[in-house]
Amino acid sequence: MKARTASLLLMAPALLLLAAVFLYPLLRYGWLSFQASSVLTGLEPVPNGGANWGRLLDDARFWTDAFQTLRFAVCSVALELVGGLGLALLLHRPLRGRGTLRALTLLPWALPTTVMALGWRWILNDPHGPLNAAIRSLGGSSYGFLSTPATTWFFVVLADVWKTLPFVALLLLAGLQTIPEDLEEALRLEGAGRLQILRRLTLPLLVPYLALALLFRLAQALGVFDLIQVLSGGGPAGSTESLALYAYLNAMRFLDFGYAATVMLATFLLLLVLLGGGWWLWRRGDLQGRREGAA
Amino acid sequence: MNAAAGAGLELRQLCREVGGRRLLDRLDLAVTPGECLALLGPSGCGKSTTLRLVAGLDAASAGRVLLDGQDLGALSPGERQVAMVFQSYALYPHLSVEGNLELGLKVRGVAAAERQRRLGAVLELLQLEELRQRRPAQLSGGQRQRVALARALLRQPRIMLLDEPMSNLDAQLREELRPELRRLLCGREQPVIYVTHDQQEAVGMADRIALLDAGRLQQVGSPRELYADPANRFVACFLGRPAINLLTIAPGRQLGLRPEHLHLAEEGPVEARLLRREWWGHQQLLWLDSRWGPLRVLCAAEAPLPAEPRLGWQRQHELWFDPLSGARLHGQGPVW
Repeated sequence: MKARTASLLLMAPALLLLAAVFLYPLLRYGWLSFQASSVLTGLEPVPNGGANWGRLLDDARFWTDAFQTLRFAVCSVALELVGGLGLALLLHRPLRGRGTLRALTLLPWALPTTVMALGWRWILNDPHGPLNAAIRSLGGSSYGFLSTPATTWFFVVLADVWKTLPFVALLLLAGLQTIPEDLEEALRLEGAGRLQILRRLTLPLLVPYLALALLFRLAQALGVFDLIQVLSGGGPAGSTESLALYAYLNAMRFLDFGYAATVMLATFLLLLVLLGGGWWLWRRGDLQGRREGAA
Repeated sequence: MNAAAGAGLELRQLCREVGGRRLLDRLDLAVTPGECLALLGPSGCGKSTTLRLVAGLDAASAGRVLLDGQDLGALSPGERQVAMVFQSYALYPHLSVEGNLELGLKVRGVAAAERQRRLGAVLELLQLEELRQRRPAQLSGGQRQRVALARALLRQPRIMLLDEPMSNLDAQLREELRPELRRLLCGREQPVIYVTHDQQEAVGMADRIALLDAGRLQQVGSPRELYADPANRFVACFLGRPAINLLTIAPGRQLGLRPEHLHLAEEGPVEARLLRREWWGHQQLLWLDSRWGPLRVLCAAEAPLPAEPRLGWQRQHELWFDPLSGARLHGQGPVW
C-alpha cells in the first residue's frame, strides 16, 4: 500500500492539472447547461430546469450541424487515410532526394490553419482570385465557389485534406519503417506481387498505425473550427457550419451562455461515443502489434 | 554425387558491385542436385551477397546464375522457385504458424485441399502440429527456426538457400539441431546452399565448403580437404580451432603448424617455455614461448609435461606459406 500511496502522490500534480483544465470546465458546462444565462437574464445564471436540453432536442440547426460535422469528418479523414497511405508508400521507397521530399511534404501541415485558410479563400475569391482568373483566361466566366454550398463544402474538405494529409503520411511512414525488410523479401520469394504484398503483409501490419491516425484525425475533424470559420464562416446559409462553430456563435454572438454550454457538452458527448469506438479498435490493433513486437 | 553436366546450380564469374565497392568478385561455383554446400567466411566476405544474387533479391553486376542449364538472370525472385530461410526467420508476425506456412501457397493460387495436404505433411515432418495456431511471438527460437524451415520445405523449391539459420539460437540448441537439419536438407533433389560464419556448423552440415574472404573465393572442397590441404594462409587460419600457429622461421617462408599437431617431448628441434595452461576437459591448451614467438599446443589433458619441454611434430603436418602474399608454398621446408 505504501508504493500505491507514493505513486498517487507522484501523479498528483499531473492529475490536478488535468482536473483543472478538463474536469472543472466540464462540470462547469454541466452546471451551466441547466441555467438560463443570456442577455435576457442580464448574463446572470438563472436555473431553468432542463429547458436548454429540451431546446437542443428540437433544435434543427444543431442536428443539421451535427450531420454536417460528421459528414465533413468522415469524408476528409477517409481521404486523408487513403491519400496518406499512398504518400507514405511512395516516400518509403528508396528515391533520390527522399529526405528533401519528406520535408517538403510536411510543409502544408506546418502552416497555421488560419493562414492556410485565408490563402484558400483568396484562391477561390470571386472574381479576383487566381482560380477564377485562370477560368477567365481559358474563356470561362467567374464562379462563386464560396457562395455555392456544394463547392464550398468541397473546398473545405479539400483544404483540410491538403493540410493534414502529410501528418497522416508521416505517421504511416513511421509504421512502414517498423516492418522488417526481410518479411517483404520472403513474400517476394513466394511469388507475391506488389499488390499482394500490400494486402497480405503491409496493411495488416499497419493496422495499429492506421487506427492511431484515424483516432487522432477524427478527434480533430469533429472539433473543426478555425478552418471553417476563416474559409467559409460556416456559410453559405450555414451549409458548412460545424458544431464547434455553432457553439461559438451561441456564446459569442447570441450571448446565450447557457445554451452554448449545452451545445458544447452535447458535442463532447457525441465525440466521446465516436472516439470510444475508435479507441476500442485501436486497442485491438495495438494488442496485436505488441504481440508482434515481441517477435 | 556426380551429376550430368549442367544439372544443379552453377555460378559463373558472378560479381556484385555497390557504389564502386566490390562485394563479390568473379565467383565461380557449382552445386550439384542434392549437395549441401556451405558458404563460409567472416562478416562482409560476400556470402550473404551470393545468396541474395541466387535468390534474385539483388541484381548481379556481371556474371550468370544457371540452374539446370537455365539462366535465372531474367527471372524475378518469385519465378526462380528458390526457398530461403532468413537469419531472422522472417516469419509474418500477424499470422499463425499455419498462416505463415500457407501464405506462399495462397499467393501462388494452390487449391485449398492441396494446401491442407502439403501443410499436414510438413507439419508432421517438423513436429509442429501442436503449434499450428500459435503466433511467431509465442514460439521459442528453436520453434521459430523450425517454422521457417517448414515454410521453405513446403515450397518444394528448386534451390534451397539458408542464411545463417542457426545464428540466433544458443550454442547448445544449435548443436542439437544440426543433425536434424542435415537430415531434412541433405539428400533431397535440390541443391542446398548454407551460409554460415561458424566453421563447426559448416563442417558438420556441408558436403563441401566454399570459403570466401573479401568477396573472393579462397577455396572450395570437402571439409577434410580444406583442413588438411588449405590453398592459402587465410584458409589455414580460418579453419581449425584453436587457430594455427604461424611461424616465420626463414626469410621468404612461413610455417603453419596446427596446435593439435604439435607435441611436447624431451627431444626435439625447438625448446619452449610454458606460459599458461587452459584446461578443456579431455584436452588442454598450452601457451608457450619459444624462439619463434608464442605458440599454442593442444594435447591430451593427462599428457605429461617434460621439465624442459621441446617441440615436436611430423613433417607431413607442415604447411608452408609465402609470408607476403599468404600463398601456399608446396614442397619441403628446410631440413631440421
